[in-house]
Amino acid sequence: MASLSMRKLVKKYGDFTVIPDLDLEIPDHEFVVLVGPSGCGKSTLLRVLAGLESINGGDLFIGDQRVNDVPAAKRDIAMVFQDYALYPHMTVRQNMAFSLEMRGMTREEIAGRVERAAGLLHIGDFLDRRPKQLSGGQRQRVAMGRAIVRNPKVFLFDEPLSNLDAKLRAQVRAEIKALSQQLRTTMVFVTHDQVEAMTMADRIVVMKSGVIQQVGTPEEVYETPNNLFVAGFIGSPAMNFLPVTLGDGRARLADGRALPAEILGSGLAPSAGSGEGLVLGVRPEHFAVAPNDADALPVTVDLVEPLGSDTLVHFKLAETDAIARVSPDLRPKPGDTLPLIPVRGKALLFEQESGRAIR
Amino acid sequence: MSAIASSDRLTAWLNAVLLFFAGCVVMIPTLWMVLSSFKQSFEVTAYPPTLFFTPTLENYVSLSETTPFLHYAFNSMVVTTASTLLGLILGAPAAFVASWTRITWPAVVTLVARMAPGTLFLLPWYVMFRQVDMIGSYWALILTHAVITMPIVIWVLLPFFDNIPRSVYEAAQVDGCSPFRVFWRIALPLVTSGLAVSAILAFVFSWNYFLFALVLSNSDTKTLIAASFNFIGEGSTNWGALMAAATLIALPPLVLAVIVQRWLISGLTLGAVKG
Repeated sequence: MASLSMRKLVKKYGDFTVIPDLDLEIPDHEFVVLVGPSGCGKSTLLRVLAGLESINGGDLFIGDQRVNDVPAAKRDIAMVFQDYALYPHMTVRQNMAFSLEMRGMTREEIAGRVERAAGLLHIGDFLDRRPKQLSGGQRQRVAMGRAIVRNPKVFLFDEPLSNLDAKLRAQVRAEIKALSQQLRTTMVFVTHDQVEAMTMADRIVVMKSGVIQQVGTPEEVYETPNNLFVAGFIGSPAMNFLPVTLGDGRARLADGRALPAEILGSGLAPSAGSGEGLVLGVRPEHFAVAPNDADALPVTVDLVEPLGSDTLVHFKLAETDAIARVSPDLRPKPGDTLPLIPVRGKALLFEQESGRAIR
Repeated sequence: MSAIASSDRLTAWLNAVLLFFAGCVVMIPTLWMVLSSFKQSFEVTAYPPTLFFTPTLENYVSLSETTPFLHYAFNSMVVTTASTLLGLILGAPAAFVASWTRITWPAVVTLVARMAPGTLFLLPWYVMFRQVDMIGSYWALILTHAVITMPIVIWVLLPFFDNIPRSVYEAAQVDGCSPFRVFWRIALPLVTSGLAVSAILAFVFSWNYFLFALVLSNSDTKTLIAASFNFIGEGSTNWGALMAAATLIALPPLVLAVIVQRWLISGLTLGAVKG
């Protein structure tokens, strides 16, 4: 078990800079999820940690050891790959034992460790099968077994759930989280799925174009995003963004209609500068249907998506497409008019030009 | 539906006809060779060729009496087996590294060297081997035949190695393997059918290679294919014995090819279907 430390890390492919300058500290025992859209550099960063990619600048520490020039084989890191990368010519048992063999462990010790890991992951029944005789979920478990059998300093997961169907994904997600709590090993998990990030992480690292946009607990990233990118990336459906100007204690939308400033977090309005060039951020679940509120804005329902537990309502607000999550009991229909208002204190404010959150 | 079915039938029929003609082109000379080896000398060159004749082993008997055929066969086996092994030992790691690093130009260079006419190498090699007093040795033949076998091994194995997901190599690295161990423990066991295919092709090409053995061997180390040239005289050629020798020479590669037919076909088409 060990901490990870990335200092002024630079990664380039030829002239193309994937990670321009990255600093990140991951303490021992922490479960960190790297999340971001395709091409944001999260998988590259994971491969750098694993030693599968060299770095062009900065330093990388695992525990106290600077590992810039340490090959993957000597980093004592385990990795679960997106396609599981099991050895096709070996049985499950041999797959799990392989890394221990490479470290020169005795036969008895290897057998004991493999049995223990197999028990933990419920794969004891197919230890003598080959990978091609297993289902996707079983292969995924074997890949995890191969990683935990080593008892490594750090676990790396490269989108390990993306090849599973939705039901299995939720199940394995819960299993990995339980495993992390049981093993208490430092884990770095890469995903582009923000639901995985939110449900599993102790801390989330949101990345874009090789630059960290925010590091924080799932709650912090969700409730107080640093900028428009994080606000839009975390949460599903995404946050609604409405251009506004502030003045006279009200937030005025592009179509001239106004909302009371109390919808914003306390003390926001004064720091908003001139009040121009701002964006109001409202999560779909933070729209309330308020027929008795004089400040509520009547909107016309364009589209309804019933999800069972709640219903998504699509509408236009000040010429901008927006979504609200409402109670299914409301049974709205396209063409209906709904009086909506952002929940007081829940709306966020951003600078349009820089994207920065105003707090 | 019926239009599609009849067009499928037409395609199948055309395929059969084309295969028949291709088969004829390949098989008629082979059949001619085998039949001629059982004919009496005057019948071999008869025109029009005789299809019905009384078979005789005369040519085979004369072959065994007039030439140390088994000794030549032994020479061929030594040179071919050793050069095939050498080709595998050098070619398999080379193909792995070319696939791993995606640097394929050295593999292209070996292929170009293979495609160049053998006569290009002959004079420099003759001079070199004479200087180190190796003319007529097995090693001169084995080393020169490795120039035939190694490019075959490299080019047959490259798509096999390319076909292994890169993440499997990476998983092995993370698991503690050095690059050599990745090759030995992971990559090589995954390309066994490719190894078989490349070994057989290398064997056949080396077995049949004529030119280097003709110049670099002596009467002790002469291979079968070079020895068969003895039957072609300046004044007359013993066609019957030549056909018998050719039939026996063709036998080992033929038997090998039949034994590993299934592997051979799947191996040769791997590069095309890996998608």
